[in-house]
Amino acid sequence: MEQAVKETFNQGNLRANAAYQMGRRRFTVDPITRLEGHGKIDIYLDDKGDVERAYMQVPELRGFEVFSLGRPAEDMPQITSRICGVCPTAHHMAATKCLDDLYKVEPTSPGRKIRELVYNAFMLEDHALHVFVLGGPDFIVGPEAPPAERNIVGVIGKVGIEAGKKVISTRRRVRELIAYFGGKVVHPVLGLPGGVSKALNPADLSKFKELAKDAVEFSEWTLTVLKQIVLGNPDYVKMITSDAFTHKTCYMGMVDENNKVNFYDGKLRVVDCNGKEVCKFAPSQYRDFVAEHVEPWSYMKFTFLKQRGWKGFTEGPDTSIYSVAPLARLNASDGMATPKAQAAYEEFYKILGGKPVHHTLANHLARVIEMIQAAETMEKLLNDPEITNPEVRRVPTNVPKEGIGVVEAPRGTLFHHYQTDERGCITMANMIVATQNNAARIAMSVEKAAKGLIKGGKVTEGLLNKVEMAFRAYDPCLGCATHSLPGHLPLLARIYDSKKQLVQELKQG
Amino acid sequence: MNPAVEATQPAEPQLGTPARLEPNAASGKILVLGLGNDILTDDAIGLEVVREVARRVEGDARVDVRETMEMGLALLDFIVGYETLILVDSIQTGRAAPGHVHDLTQEHLGAQPGRTPHFLGVKDTLLLGARLGLAMPDRVRILAIEVEDPFTLGSEMTSAMRYALPLAVEQVLALVASATARPCFLAQDSRIA
Repeated sequence: MEQAVKETFNQGNLRANAAYQMGRRRFTVDPITRLEGHGKIDIYLDDKGDVERAYMQVPELRGFEVFSLGRPAEDMPQITSRICGVCPTAHHMAATKCLDDLYKVEPTSPGRKIRELVYNAFMLEDHALHVFVLGGPDFIVGPEAPPAERNIVGVIGKVGIEAGKKVISTRRRVRELIAYFGGKVVHPVLGLPGGVSKALNPADLSKFKELAKDAVEFSEWTLTVLKQIVLGNPDYVKMITSDAFTHKTCYMGMVDENNKVNFYDGKLRVVDCNGKEVCKFAPSQYRDFVAEHVEPWSYMKFTFLKQRGWKGFTEGPDTSIYSVAPLARLNASDGMATPKAQAAYEEFYKILGGKPVHHTLANHLARVIEMIQAAETMEKLLNDPEITNPEVRRVPTNVPKEGIGVVEAPRGTLFHHYQTDERGCITMANMIVATQNNAARIAMSVEKAAKGLIKGGKVTEGLLNKVEMAFRAYDPCLGCATHSLPGHLPLLARIYDSKKQLVQELKQG
Repeated sequence: MNPAVEATQPAEPQLGTPARLEPNAASGKILVLGLGNDILTDDAIGLEVVREVARRVEGDARVDVRETMEMGLALLDFIVGYETLILVDSIQTGRAAPGHVHDLTQEHLGAQPGRTPHFLGVKDTLLLGARLGLAMPDRVRILAIEVEDPFTLGSEMTSAMRYALPLAVEQVLALVASATARPCFLAQDSRIA
């Protein structure tokens, strides 16, 4: 084709596409904007060019409530597990417990133990993934290292190929365990109201015991590595304890009857920034203790402690903002439930100067301590003679009405709440995901990062990097089930002056 | 003959010793892998495309068609041992009309790994597999379909997707045909550009 013709064609094509896009694109209206696949940060400067407010929005899942209407409640474990591509098992388990409550049926003891086994296996795997692949690389390779190295490949370069192979193979073996109980199907059916779908055949016991033993070893090794690399490096310690990544909020986590950390079941305990217990409640009472607040600049509903009332994005002993996830769980408890994890817990607080720890980046270390507990719990359950008992289900007989199910997902407390008609079809379904519990604190972190890095109208190099690091320390769930490439969250920051004029736009990813 | 889309070598490692790459399992097989989520409206497109492809290549022993809703490291389990990988997924660049099929190779996939807030991207997975000495596909092609709405729960795709579906299927089948016809993988189609 002739050059001129080619050019005309291309230009015409571009115009047509642009016109099409204009027609399709929903116009963004300040301050509420419609996200399209990336995280958006709006930063408003005051007259001096310093940051007045910063807001962050992320893409989120829409239409869950509507989608669930009329569906059999028994489908919810499968449906909700498809919402999160990374922690499906957490949703599955929360939904299953919700069904228990809906039908007012107690799972059998073996059934419960199998659930706990699977759930702890999942926590172990997910935490390992995070440490080595997602959040960990920032530390293991170093936050100043070029982005191209801050990934699992860089990690392997630092800790060796054997580590990488171990992560992969541990993951595979854990998946096999979950598939064993849920079936090798696209949507595993594991949890049923009143128990689980499959018992553990004694013939298969030994290979899972092997896995548990290896898992304990692997978690302890991970902690050693992380401690060496992170705590042994004064620059990292400085960053972890820096003010930019520190917030004095309340902390929420699930605990057993001895106030020790439990991922699967228990009561929810909240402590304030001085470690004093604020409240402790059963999951079914969550509505009396947790409320949602809406801000005009975000679709996200921010949770806060209802009894204290919404006090804004504040810190300190009176704040009603709380956070969840590994660090919060450790802070909200009186200890870990297993011995090796408990030893690590004590050392953790000793090194970081007492309890509670307010440094968000300490989440990475808390995560590994939880890995150790997950592995030890697996070992304990697999050595329990009841684990091979075939009585894994109690069939429900009551008429369903309303149920609430809560678990500790890797990223924090996860609530499922359903109401049904008498046939068990959903009339109301609500979810509070882990990240929602952290949303207020994340907003504060983003604002703090922005305030620290924009002074007098000048944006410091690496602003988006730092914001992203703060953000990533929470390991947030962001409408995360979509596969849409490129498989990460691009960030777009817009900076407005005191007259709300756009002065700068920064893109990352 | 166009220099073929070269068998992708993993990037020169920046740190540590390079892994010794084990020879690929000489399966010579092609994997068509669809990624997606069929209750997230447009995110189902990858799955729908490969389901149709599966119907059309049924009986061909050289081609395996799989679908998955998983992400990240889980992909490794699927792709180990294949020589050729054709991935079908959704994408939202905002720079093309919904339904447009982006034809990508590994080089196109996001210049910067490690920037993943929540999940391991396709490119990182491939890189990782190679680093660990697993038998990774030599030839990788990604068909990424521009989507309009992958965030709303729903089991019906938007109309732009339904329009794109047959076109994407044909593209996949063309890639499969090229890969099975000759050992040297497909040349990038000439474009008006």
